Amino acid sequence: MKETEVKDAIDNILANEPELIPSSGFLASVMERVQEESAAPPPIPFPWKRALPGMILAVGIIGWGGVEFASHAMQSGATLTLHAPDLPVVVTQHLQQAGWIAVACAASLASWLFARRLTGRSGLL
Amino acid sequence: MEAPAQTGSAATDAADVARVLAGEVRAFEGIVRRWQGPLINMAWRYCRDRSRAEELAQEAFLRAWRNLASWRGESSFSTWLFALAANVYRNDLKRFPTVNVPMEDVTEPSGPATQHSVLAERSRDESVRRAVLALPHRYREPLVLFYFHEMDVSAAARSLRLPEGTVKARLSRARALLRKRFPHLEDEAQSPELPHQTQRKEA
Repeated sequence: MKETEVKDAIDNILANEPELIPSSGFLASVMERVQEESAAPPPIPFPWKRALPGMILAVGIIGWGGVEFASHAMQSGATLTLHAPDLPVVVTQHLQQAGWIAVACAASLASWLFARRLTGRSGLL
Repeated sequence: MEAPAQTGSAATDAADVARVLAGEVRAFEGIVRRWQGPLINMAWRYCRDRSRAEELAQEAFLRAWRNLASWRGESSFSTWLFALAANVYRNDLKRFPTVNVPMEDVTEPSGPATQHSVLAERSRDESVRRAVLALPHRYREPLVLFYFHEMDVSAAARSLRLPEGTVKARLSRARALLRKRFPHLEDEAQSPELPHQTQRKEA
């Protein structure tokens, strides 16, 4: 019964842990956080009523844009040959970077305005 | 340690939960008062760090507070609370693991011949307990909860929300790993009982 004896030794050690006594402020600290949570206003529900028209409009515009782009690309794809202006590489790179920055700024502005519109604090839209 | 399953009465828990759900926030204090010891001790077994154990227990109480309505009395309040706490501790320790030494680096105190003092015995016990934290996760948690629940497999299985058979298999593997790491425990188990061990049992 060697295994049982060894099991007992491990059992004795692991089962007889000294007991921790909660620190004196533990109860008060838990209750303080509970009180804070209960006093906090309920979370603001997402304003679906306000957001839905905007979301539908955005999806519609993006979809319409995609369809238009695809149809134009298909029509002109076969005949159109693009002649890029003969610019130095450095200028092209700068123009590209400036373009991306402009797109990022426009996206940020649009999302900020949209967020203000959703929360009903807009004086702009 | 006080038997967690017997701490507090089920009726008192149910009454306090009903009062809290009716809007009486202060009634939650009774629940915290009754279960703070078991929850802190349970957390201690998961991390062996006192201040973190209290933080984890506090988080478990807050989670219990937020989800109190989800306890519908199908299981006892303690079963629900321990399962919730185990979930909180497990997730927290996954995100911020305790600093564990690998199992093979856990030092085993010297053999039984030199362990004729209470201090040496305590040091050996602490090594074994620390080795539990170095076990692979799937074996560690069943072992922690099995001993926390005073060697009750079904209580540990309920806290883990695992079948009893799975818990038994993992316990057996965990014990085998510990035995492999501490072969001197075998010698000790075979050797005649030491005087201070007799004293402790009598006490």
